[in-house]
Amino acid sequence: MAASTLQPQSSADCRERFNRLAAEWKEKSRFLSNTAQMALLRPYQAIIGMGMPVVPLILEEMEREPDQWFWALESITEENPVRPEDAGNVRQMTKAWIDWGRQRGLMK
Amino acid sequence: MIGGPQFPRLTAHNHRVTSPATPDYNCIAWCAGDTQHWWQPGVYWPVVAAADDFGIGVVEQAFAELGYADCGHDISLEAGHEKIALFGSGAFYTHAAKQLPTGKWTSKLGRDVDIEHDAPDDVAGGVYGEVIQTMKRST
Repeated sequence: MAASTLQPQSSADCRERFNRLAAEWKEKSRFLSNTAQMALLRPYQAIIGMGMPVVPLILEEMEREPDQWFWALESITEENPVRPEDAGNVRQMTKAWIDWGRQRGLMK
Repeated sequence: MIGGPQFPRLTAHNHRVTSPATPDYNCIAWCAGDTQHWWQPGVYWPVVAAADDFGIGVVEQAFAELGYADCGHDISLEAGHEKIALFGSGAFYTHAAKQLPTGKWTSKLGRDVDIEHDAPDDVAGGVYGEVIQTMKRST
């Protein structure tokens, strides 16, 4: 394991690491449809392992480009703000999470 | 053109892109005629399923609920029937493709594009593993 993962990270380090892992995950999951398979990819698991500090970065990324970040957000926050009637609708699920983030001051 | 190690059997001659990439729906939704949802067990799925159920059985159950029944590996064009092919790799279901009335097949590739291809096997051999099962229903 890299030493950097054992030391406190600055917000800039966190962002750089998230951007790198997110890009890697998007490339590896590009053609996948099975959400569990997508979530078990190593970059995605590493992002989940970053914990609460990565949540604003995920929200920012999904606002820019909606994607299957819901599994990670639920895993990290143990919350799910998506209304049952919006389940499966990527745009509505994304909006629910962004609203959730704004209500908690996690996004501008 | 789609290809490379993830799709070693796709060539310039056996497929064509038919729509732009979108994260709004996946291959399972596409085969079910739904372009508004990303189908996922435990989240949006036609039968009760655990969110961490990711095997071929859960996708077979979903299409059985939609009226499809197993037809072995018969991918022939049959009047009065529509067919789907289910793919798996390791423990995972990976993909579903649907036969068009022309006899060709259509696939939504994850969050990427839709393609039309000559046969189910064209998208196998790489990221989707192999065709595990074919199912059909009356039209």
